[in-house]
Amino acid sequence: MAENGIRVTHLQKTFGRGENAVEVIRDASFTVQRGELAALIAPSGAGKSTLLMMIGCVLEPSGGEIMLGEKMVYQNRWLHPDSRKLRREKIGFIFQAHYLIPFLNILENITLLPQTNGQTRAAAEQYARELLQYLGIEDKAHAMPSDLSGGQNQRVAIARALATHPEIILADEPTAALDIERAHSVVQLLRQIAKERQVAIIMVTHDQRLLPYCDKILEIQDGRVETSPVEPLLP
Amino acid sequence: MISLAYKDIRHTLSKFLVTAIGVGMLLGIVLIMLGVYRGMAEDARILLNDIRADLWVVQQGTLGPFAESSRLHQDWQDSLKAFDGVTHAAALTFQNVQLYNRQQQAIRVLAVGYDPMGDFSVIAPQRLVAGRSLRAQHYEMVVTDKTGFQLGERVPLGRDLYRVVGITHGTVSSSGDPLIYLSLKDAQTVQFSYTNAHIRNDRARGLLGQNTRLVNTVVLKVAVGKNPTEVAQALALWKPLSVYSHQEQGLILSRNVIERSSKQIGLFTAILVLVSGIIIGLIIYTMTLEKMKEISIMKLIGIPNGMVVRMIMQETLLLGALAFLFGNLFATLIAGQFPKRVELLGSDALLLFLVILLASFLASLVGVYKVMRADPAAAIGG
Repeated sequence: MAENGIRVTHLQKTFGRGENAVEVIRDASFTVQRGELAALIAPSGAGKSTLLMMIGCVLEPSGGEIMLGEKMVYQNRWLHPDSRKLRREKIGFIFQAHYLIPFLNILENITLLPQTNGQTRAAAEQYARELLQYLGIEDKAHAMPSDLSGGQNQRVAIARALATHPEIILADEPTAALDIERAHSVVQLLRQIAKERQVAIIMVTHDQRLLPYCDKILEIQDGRVETSPVEPLLP
Repeated sequence: MISLAYKDIRHTLSKFLVTAIGVGMLLGIVLIMLGVYRGMAEDARILLNDIRADLWVVQQGTLGPFAESSRLHQDWQDSLKAFDGVTHAAALTFQNVQLYNRQQQAIRVLAVGYDPMGDFSVIAPQRLVAGRSLRAQHYEMVVTDKTGFQLGERVPLGRDLYRVVGITHGTVSSSGDPLIYLSLKDAQTVQFSYTNAHIRNDRARGLLGQNTRLVNTVVLKVAVGKNPTEVAQALALWKPLSVYSHQEQGLILSRNVIERSSKQIGLFTAILVLVSGIIIGLIIYTMTLEKMKEISIMKLIGIPNGMVVRMIMQETLLLGALAFLFGNLFATLIAGQFPKRVELLGSDALLLFLVILLASFLASLVGVYKVMRADPAAAIGG
């Protein structure tokens, strides 16, 4: 039986009050199992980033429930005292641009969070090198982000997201800054990571051509999330 | 654990150093201004301290030779020496004159006239770096090294030529002019003698026999065990003269002679310190703003505020400390180029360091405020 990755139940988010209130997310309910890659799609301004921020414990919802792994983190209020620690330990983030810290080299960018979590430098570096090898950029360990191409930097960003052994990865349009060839390569990699490392991944995308790589599609329509399956890719 | 401040500085080392050098030069100017302020106060007391008189006797109703014009008959020296409690007396003259070196460049100096055979050695022995003090009553001169004259050189002054017999170091007047020393007789000739044409004109007006045996002050030493204040009071009671103690003359110098200049420089220095603090604050603010995207990312991925705040504060304090070091170096290198004395004191540097540390700390609080307010959500959605 698949383990729970993300379970969202009747999640709501309203900005403003009274007459000025805007209900962005009315009633979102869905699950993404560990090992699944889910695409989150919607027109611009429909609430993709808002939903992602709530799942990522950055933005407080107005109501509902969020369960990450086997841990209930929100039930009409935050249940975890330190949301930043929760993010650090359970969630990996990948952004539109790589957003690596420019003054740290590749190895330091990847090991920063594990070291902050209390891992020794040696252990963090060993796992970082494994990740770099897994992602095919092991020779870039001591390069600076400015020395790498966009595709290589996005792989480093993926390695950073994986460095803390997260149960969940939230990817906000990770292919937006890449050409279609590299975009396919990155999404294939995310799918591979989801399967091999049993991570639940939600990927925001506008690109319909990338949907076949996903296991399910979460589509925001009028503040609600519709879940639909994707025809599996033929081997 | 990775030191974010170290990594950030290493990444932008040249920019960081250039910023520190720029701020350092500003701090160097602050140190120089402080040095000019201190130097002015120090210069004002050189002559006073070198003469080491207990009492300064001057023309009645005046503040004395440094603050106001004062003229006394020279024979007061003898009658004052006979006054109860007085052991030494010396008549002195002070006059600004212009000398010309071999290149005919004008050098403004203060000429001090004293009796080489008298009770006071006006030139402090530690000031004399070459040659000797005056021995003859005529045509000898001791000069300060800043005048550029060499030992044995003959310098024209008034109607005569004077031979340089000694060179002193660090002797300047309260206005920063180099000092030269002449015998009292020569100094009186320079100060109170006129040209032939002037004398002929005076004679035509019926003014005959100008008295040149005038001095600007008579300095006294009182007997051991005698209270100088009591002697001064008795003198002022019995003689038509004004008498000031060493401390009073010092106060006149600091309050009446250099007060306005020193206040002006002091205020200018205070404004410079304030401006430096604001500039450091703005630099830190800009440095933090430049990193806001990275700070948002760090907060979003879970880096604790403490790590980011530590980075900002470490960078700020290091910038302040480096700027202070560069400032000291800069000030030390250029202090000697100023025409007047620049007295760089360790205590002033320490005070400035504390001010800069405080300014850096306050400036870093601005950065810390920006870090605390940084929205991690800004990293999502581009």
